[in-house]
Amino acid sequence: MPPLLKYLIRRALVMPISAFIISLALYGGVMLTPAEVRADLYMPSNLNQNLTEEDIARLKEKIITRYHLRDPFPMQYAYWVQSIVLGEWGYSPSLKADVLPALLQRTPATVELAFYSLLLFVPLGLLGGGLAGWRKNSPEDSSLRLLAFISTSLPPFILALMMLSFFYIGLGWFAPGRLSNALGYQLTPENFRAYTGMYTLDGLLNGRPDVTLDAFRHLAMPVFTLSLYHWATLTRITRASMVAQRGQEYIIAARARGIHGARLVWKHAFRNTLAPSLTSLTLSAASLLTGVFVVEIIYVYNGVSFVILRAMQGIPDAPAVLGFSVYSVMLVLGLMFGLDVLQALADPRIREENLA
Amino acid sequence: MRRFFSRWQNLLGLGLVLFFGVIALAAPILSPQSEKEPGAFQRTEGVKRTKREPQPPEVVAPLGSLPGQLDVFHALVWGTRDALTFGLQVTLATALFGVLLGAGAGLVGGWFNSLVLRIADSFLSFPLIAGVVFLEQLWLNAITASGGVFFRGQMIQEPVGGISPIEWLFLHTDALSVTIILFSWMPYARLTNAMVAVLKPTEFIQAAQALGASQARILFRHLIPNAVSPALVLAARDVGGMVVLQATLTFIGISSSSVWGTMLAMGRDWVIGPDGGIFRYWWVFLPTTLALTLFGVGWNLLGDGLSDLLDPRE
Repeated sequence: MPPLLKYLIRRALVMPISAFIISLALYGGVMLTPAEVRADLYMPSNLNQNLTEEDIARLKEKIITRYHLRDPFPMQYAYWVQSIVLGEWGYSPSLKADVLPALLQRTPATVELAFYSLLLFVPLGLLGGGLAGWRKNSPEDSSLRLLAFISTSLPPFILALMMLSFFYIGLGWFAPGRLSNALGYQLTPENFRAYTGMYTLDGLLNGRPDVTLDAFRHLAMPVFTLSLYHWATLTRITRASMVAQRGQEYIIAARARGIHGARLVWKHAFRNTLAPSLTSLTLSAASLLTGVFVVEIIYVYNGVSFVILRAMQGIPDAPAVLGFSVYSVMLVLGLMFGLDVLQALADPRIREENLA
Repeated sequence: MRRFFSRWQNLLGLGLVLFFGVIALAAPILSPQSEKEPGAFQRTEGVKRTKREPQPPEVVAPLGSLPGQLDVFHALVWGTRDALTFGLQVTLATALFGVLLGAGAGLVGGWFNSLVLRIADSFLSFPLIAGVVFLEQLWLNAITASGGVFFRGQMIQEPVGGISPIEWLFLHTDALSVTIILFSWMPYARLTNAMVAVLKPTEFIQAAQALGASQARILFRHLIPNAVSPALVLAARDVGGMVVLQATLTFIGISSSSVWGTMLAMGRDWVIGPDGGIFRYWWVFLPTTLALTLFGVGWNLLGDGLSDLLDPRE
């Protein structure tokens, strides 16, 4: 078996363990509520509006027996996991929709936002940190460090408020939301097929570059807000490991062999800073996703977080919230795996067995 | 010690933290609360209360008013007290939980240690925002199911037959603080655990064991004091980070506990609304932003300074 594949399988096997522990904790939390509340998770979608309270109580009792909601925890947990695996995520009264389709339908928007942010800040963070670390205490280093310091100090939601004020209200360059209203109303399933659900891609696939441009106009502010903070963190970590690389003996040896300049920096030293930087990125995948959701809510960007918008304001909607929690853990695990793949591709120790 | 005071960044951090500490302590002197309107928000005098538009500092003293004629200065000062209390309480609880768990697991070792570390890794894959919403929903559902009558998080009528211990717990804790503690202890546990793993085979711990010291004594007397410094640095940085997080979640409407976050959320429409403007209504935005940002910066710099101070390698 190729070593890369072996490594990826090993990483992939960790994910079910994490998912198991987290879901155990989640359902353990749910168990703190009485069985009548847990029955809400399985309420049918076609509930008659004219039902009396007694009817509802009788219905709940039926659900409780059917889904074994008075059984001991391990049994209940098993039944719940079964329903999650079968795709029965319940019906959200605040969305007036089934939870799983509601989540899936909004996923491309969230993925689009996260993807462009990663595309922006990961290369810039690695390059910035590499440069600053190699030329420690140079003017470039000082200015990059200052910029990184300001970027981590400014809370992202305040940056968002400032950006909205300048670029949306003031200059009108960018806008919140996903698409302009005028354009959004034109698009119907007949004249605009949703191949991927991401407007920037679908616009090109449908031969509508104006849609792609408009989508970018709406993505600009959330992507920048999200990227700045994470760029700064990544830059700092990469800089620190680059500084540590500079004094290593293999660098001195390479210099002695006549390797210098860009080749020494990017081919030798920089390669070794990738592993710690990408590891730290993997470990902060959950906070990255929290950032995505915060930015979505501030910029009224209709992504996955919109499923809990009502529940957030204190409206009881257990199926939406539990579904959202489970789904976001799955998204984080997916993101972590993606970053693992990236790290495996960048690190020859993982790629080629004989070097290990 | 001298090294700590030789860097201006450390002094700035210490100065900022002390500054906010003094403001928090002196809040009753700086801006006394009236009996009619206790709490961080208080109406200013001199302008009709029905007027919605925020008034500039020239009209109402000393930092203008928020929409609804709420005093910016008053809220800022009492918000500092709130922020500092929240930051210190939550950080202390998180750090204590993480350090004890990490050190305890390290001391016991074996499968228990692996289990704790495995759980810590799993919790790293849970986004905090989902945790807050989940726990708030849990609180809400459990409390509504109890049959009590609630208004804005306050129980105005007790349920028939009293409340159960779990419901009492839900009523007396804040979902946001509990979530932050539940989903932020992992780095503390990991750091302390790594330190304990290094310390455990050393001679002085073995000597203590040979002298017949109890496990608890070894843990509290020998291991934790020697393993706590990285956690201390992390905690200093976290105080600011948690206050910023609380303000962020309040601003987007998930929580309502941060005074500074509430101020910014209130002023939001006058900064990015149709008739608003960030320069025209600067006083609803700038003072709070500065306070929040500098609070974070202060604790961050203090954390960097502590890391200089406690790093044995240099």
